[in-house]
Amino acid sequence: MTELELRDLRKTYRARGRPGVDAVRGLDLALRSGELLGLLGPSGCGKSTTLRMIAGLESVTGGDILVGGASVVERPAQQRNIGVAFENYALYPPLSVAENLAFGLKARRKAARGDVDRKVKEIAERVGLTDLLDARPAGLSSGQKQRVSLARALIREPDVLLLDEPLSHLDAAQRDTTRRELKRIQKDLGHTTILVTHDQEEALSLADRIAVMKDGVIQQLGTPYEIYDSPANVFVADFVGEPAITLLPGIADRDGRARLSDTVRIALPVPVEEGREVVVGIRPEDVRLTAEDGLPARVVAHEPLLESGLATLALDGVERHLVVLTDPEVRLAHDERVRVAPDLRHTHVFDAETGEALR
Amino acid sequence: MRKRLLGWLADAALVLYFVFALFPIAWMVILSLKPADQLFSTYFSFSPTLDGYRTVLGDSEGIPFVRFFVNSLVVSVGAVVLSLVVGLPAAYASARWRFKGSENLMFTLLSFRFAPELTVIIPLFVLYQKLGLFDTYVGMVWVLQLVTLPLIVWIMRSYFADLTPELEQAALLDGYTRKQAFFKVALPLVKPGIAAVSLLAFIFAWNNFVFPLILTSNEAQTVTVGALSFLGGDRPKYNLTAAAALVSVVPPLLLALTIQRYLVRGLSFGAVKS
Repeated sequence: MTELELRDLRKTYRARGRPGVDAVRGLDLALRSGELLGLLGPSGCGKSTTLRMIAGLESVTGGDILVGGASVVERPAQQRNIGVAFENYALYPPLSVAENLAFGLKARRKAARGDVDRKVKEIAERVGLTDLLDARPAGLSSGQKQRVSLARALIREPDVLLLDEPLSHLDAAQRDTTRRELKRIQKDLGHTTILVTHDQEEALSLADRIAVMKDGVIQQLGTPYEIYDSPANVFVADFVGEPAITLLPGIADRDGRARLSDTVRIALPVPVEEGREVVVGIRPEDVRLTAEDGLPARVVAHEPLLESGLATLALDGVERHLVVLTDPEVRLAHDERVRVAPDLRHTHVFDAETGEALR
Repeated sequence: MRKRLLGWLADAALVLYFVFALFPIAWMVILSLKPADQLFSTYFSFSPTLDGYRTVLGDSEGIPFVRFFVNSLVVSVGAVVLSLVVGLPAAYASARWRFKGSENLMFTLLSFRFAPELTVIIPLFVLYQKLGLFDTYVGMVWVLQLVTLPLIVWIMRSYFADLTPELEQAALLDGYTRKQAFFKVALPLVKPGIAAVSLLAFIFAWNNFVFPLILTSNEAQTVTVGALSFLGGDRPKYNLTAAAALVSVVPPLLLALTIQRYLVRGLSFGAVKS
C-alpha cells in the first residue's frame, strides 16, 4: 500500500475580468499507508476541489501531490491509479452491476476475459454485491449503488482511494449499515483513503484522523478526539459537535475568570491576562445542573429527547443562550430558575479577535 | 356537467383543426388520382386512376422524377451524416468546456438557422458557378449544412449538457482516454437524441426548396423542385405534381414511423433529464 502526500497544494480559479478565487490555499497533508483521513468542512471550503486535484480531474495551480513518494501532478487522471467513489455514484445506466465493475478493468487492454470475471466476483464478494451482479443501476437502492460505486473504485486496486460524500444521499438506516460496511472494507483492504464530507458524524465515525477545512485552509488536523476535545479555533469548535457548542463572549478578569455580564463570571481553564476579550466555549454535554453554587440562569426552553434532554438557558445578563444537555429524568418548566456548573476541564477559551484557542 | 361540455368543445375544436390540417392533403390525394381530362371538374365524382403515379415514376413527360427522388435521398442523407460527424464532437465540446469565443461560435452557428436563405443565395450562386459546385451532390450536401448542422449541434449540446460529467470522469480514472470516454460513455447515452435530431435534420434537408432551386439545374435537382417541373410546358399537369409531391412525402414518413419510439423522448429535449 502507498502513502499520499500533499505539499503546499494550491488552486486558484481565474475568470476573465474578475479577480481569481483561491479555492485551496497551500494545503500540506501526509497520509500514512492504509490511513483513512477525513477532509471535513462546509460547502465551498475547497475539500472537493482538493479531491479532484488528487484524482487529476482538476488542474493544479501550485504545489505537489506525491503518491508513494513519486509526484503525480504532471500525470493525467488515466495514469494516476487513483480510485474515486463519486457522490452521485456515476454508474453507467445501460450496464448491469457486473458490467459496470468490468468496465473499469477493460480500459487496460491486457485484462483477459477470465481474469476480469474472477476479479468482478472477488470484489463483489468483498463488498457484498454477489446477489446483485445482474441488476441494473436503476433498480438498486442508494446504499447498494454506493457499494457498487465503491467496488468500481476498488476493482482496479488503486494506490489511493477517494470517497466523495459517500453517505450523503442515504437515508438514516442505510447510512448506519453502509458506514459500518465502509469502515470494514477499508480496514480489510487497507487502502490509503481520503474521505471528503461536510457531515461531522461521517468523518468522526470513519476517519483515523480529520482535517477540518475552511476557505481553502486546513484549520486543524488531528484524531477525532483531538478535534473534539481541544478545537484549535472558534470555527472548529463550532463546526464539530452536535448539538453545537455555545460560544459566549466575555472579558478576562484578574482572578482567572471571564466576565460574561455584570453578574455572571465563569472560571477559565488557562490563565489569561486581565482585560483581554475572549470567547468561552462550552459544549452542551459539559455542563451540569446543580442545586447550589452554580451560575444563575433562567430556562428559556426544554426539549425532552427521550434518551436525554436539551435545555436552552439564559444566564443572567448574558445575551447568548447556553445550551445544556440534561439527564432524561430532568423536567424543566419555562422561566424556571436553575443553577449550572460548567466543567472547567472541558471549557474552551478563544481569543475574541483571532478566534484561536488560548492554551 | 360543465366539465363534460368543455370536453365536448375541446373535441369539436380538435376535429375542426384536424379537418383544417388534413384537407389540403386529402385534396392532393384526390387530385393525384384524377385523370388528365377531369382535372378541373369540381365534382367529387371522377374515374380514379393511377396513371398519374405511373407517369411520374415512369419518367415519361421527359422529367426524370426517379432521379430527383434518388438525388433527394443522397443529398439529405449525406447532409445529415456529415452534420453528425462534424456536429457531435462540436456539440460535446461546447457542452463540456467553455473556451475563448465558444459562445460566439455557437451563436454564429445558430444564426445560420434564423437568417433567411435568400439573403445568401445570390453570392452562393456565383461562388458555386466559379467553384464548379453548381448542380453537384457535394455542393448540395455542403450548402445543406446551413440547415442541418446548427440543428444537430444545438440539440445535441443540450443532451450532452444533461449528462453528468462524472460518468466520463470515472471512465478517465479507470484509464480510458478522453476519446474513449466520448465514444464509449457519452455517445451511447445520447442515442435517442441522435435518432430524433437526425430525423428532424433529414426532414428539414429533404424539404429545403430554395437551395436546390437556385444551386441545381438537373443533375443534382431534388424532388421539391422537381415536382414543380410538371407545371411547366403548355398545360400545367396538376395531377402529376400532386402525385410527385405525395411520393416525396413517403421517405420522411417511413423514417418517422421507424424511429417513433425515440421521438417522444428525443423531441422533448431539455425537459427530460437523464
